[in-house]
Amino acid sequence: MSRGLIILLVLLLNSAFAHSNSHSLGDEANALRAAGKTFHKSISAIRKMHPELLKHKRDKTLRQGIRTDESSLKGCVNCHSGKNDATGNYHPINAKDQFCSTCHQQVSVSVDCFACHRTTPSQATIAKQNTAAEPISTNTFTAEEVDKKGDDDE
Amino acid sequence: MMMSKKFNRRDFIKASTATTASVTAVASGITLTTFAASETPVTNEKRWGMLVDTNKLSENDIDNMVSACQQEHGWGGEIHSTNEQKPAWIKNIKVQDKATKKITNLPLMCQHCEQPPCVDVCPTNASVRRADGIVLVDKHLCIGCRYCMMACPYDARSFVHENLTEQKEHSPRGKGTVESCTMCVHKVDKGEQPACVASVSAKSDAVIFGDLYDSSSNINQTLKQVQSTQIRADMNLNTGVRYSGI
Ligand code: HEC
Ligand code: HEC
Ligand code: HEC
Repeated sequence: MSRGLIILLVLLLNSAFAHSNSHSLGDEANALRAAGKTFHKSISAIRKMHPELLKHKRDKTLRQGIRTDESSLKGCVNCHSGKNDATGNYHPINAKDQFCSTCHQQVSVSVDCFACHRTTPSQATIAKQNTAAEPISTNTFTAEEVDKKGDDDE
Repeated sequence: MMMSKKFNRRDFIKASTATTASVTAVASGITLTTFAASETPVTNEKRWGMLVDTNKLSENDIDNMVSACQQEHGWGGEIHSTNEQKPAWIKNIKVQDKATKKITNLPLMCQHCEQPPCVDVCPTNASVRRADGIVLVDKHLCIGCRYCMMACPYDARSFVHENLTEQKEHSPRGKGTVESCTMCVHKVDKGEQPACVASVSAKSDAVIFGDLYDSSSNINQTLKQVQSTQIRADMNLNTGVRYSGI
C-alpha cells in the first residue's frame, strides 16, 4: 500500500471511526471502560493494526500452539459483543451496526472470519462474565498503567 | 504424566537468540509493540499419541467417544447434507478377521501420521503437521480442493457442505473447508486430554493419551509392554494413534 493511502486511512480512522457512542463498544468493553480500565495499549494501534495482529495471532495459534489472550479473535468477540436489551440475547458481533461491522460498513470491508468463528460469547463465557465481580480480562490496565506496560513488554 | 507448560517467559526470551519482543514502526509514525509470546511454540521434543485397546472398549464406549467429539467440536448437526456429505471426525468402525470372522469395533479418526499424505498433497500448505505431531487443517488457508480427503488412507477427513452458525468458540468451522480430528489441540495445549479420551478415562484405561516420546508416560510404557499395531502399518506412515487388541 502506498504511503499516501496509509496517511489517508490514518486520517480517516482517527476522525470518522472513533466510537463516540460507547454503547457500540460491546458490553464487557463498556464495563471495562466504566471501571476506568482499558485493554488495548494503544487505541490508534488497534484501530489500524487489528487485521495484521489477528492474522499474526492466527498463524501463531494454529501452527505453534500459542494461545495467549493477546489478539485472540475469541477475545474480541467475548469483550466486544453486545446484548439486545429487549431479549437478553447477544447480537452477532458482525451483525449490522455491531462492533465488528460499524467501521467495516463505512469502509466497505467485508471479513469472512465469522463464517467459521462464533459470533457471540459462548454460554460458558457468559456464565463466567455474569458471576465475575469485575469485567473479565486477563490483562487490563488503568490508563496510567498503559504507558508502563508499553515499556515492559513481556 | 502432564507436561509443565509454565515456562518462565524471561528465561525463554533470554534463551532465544533472536528476541521475540520487537518494536515495529508503522508508517504513520506510531510504534507498535508486539508481545513476546507468553507461551513457547510447541516443539518436536514431544509426540502426542493415543493407544486404543479395542478389547476394553464396548460398542457403547465408542459411541460415547463419538458423541463426546460432537459435543466438543459441534459437528453432527448438519441438516442440509446427505449422509455421505455429513462430517465425521471420528467413526465407529467394524473390522472383521477374514479367517475367524471375528468382529472388532474400533474408533477411527485422524491417525496423526508422522508422514501424512494429506500434508504432501495440499497445494496451499493448509494441511499441516505441528512439531508435536498433531496433524491439522489450517482452515484459513484451505481452499476446499479436497485432495487431502482423497489422499487419506483412513478416510478421516470431512468437507463442510453447508453454512453453519453457533459454532463452538474453540472450534471454528465453516462451509467450503476440510476438517478432521484435531486431537483436541485446544485442550492439549492447556494440558488437558482430548474429549474422546476423557469420555472413557473415568471408567477405564481403554484409551490412553500422552507423549509417545516420554519414557515416563503411561502411553510410552504401555506401548513397550503390550502388543499394538498401526492401521495400515504397511504404508509406513508412523501413526500417532495406535491400537491393541486387533
Ligand atoms: C474456514 C474457517 C475459518 C475462517 C473463515 C476463519 N477462521 Fe480463524 N480459525 C479457524 C480454526 C479452525 C481455528 C483454530 C482454532 C483452535 O485451534 O483453537 C482458527 C483460529 C483462529 C485464531 C486463533 C484463535 C483465536 O480465537 O484467537 C485467530 C486469531 C483467527 N482464527 C483469526 C481469524 C480471522 C482474523 C479470520 C478472518 C480474516 C478467520 N480467522 C477466519 C477457522 C477459520
Ligand atoms: C477485555 C476486553 C477487550 C478485548 C478482549 C478486546 N478489546 Fe477492543 N476494546 C476494549 C475497550 C475497553 C475499548 C475502548 C477503548 C479503551 O478504553 O481501551 C476497545 C476498543 C477497541 C477498538 C477501538 C474502537 C474505537 O473506535 O474507539 C478497536 C478497533 C478494538 N477495540 C478492536 C479489538 C479487536 C480486533 C480485538 C481482538 C483482537 C479486541 N478489540 C479485543 C476492550 C477489549
Ligand atoms: C475502528 C474501526 C474498526 C473496528 C471497530 C473494527 N475494524 Fe476491522 N477493519 C477496519 C478497517 C478500516 C479495515 C481495513 C483496513 C485495511 O484494509 O488495511 C479493517 C479490516 C479488518 C480485517 C481485514 C480484512 C481483510 O480482508 O483483509 C479484519 C480481519 C478485521 N478488520 C477484523 C475486525 C474484527 C474482528 C473487529 C471486531 C472485533 C473489527 N475488525 C472491528 C476498521 C475497524
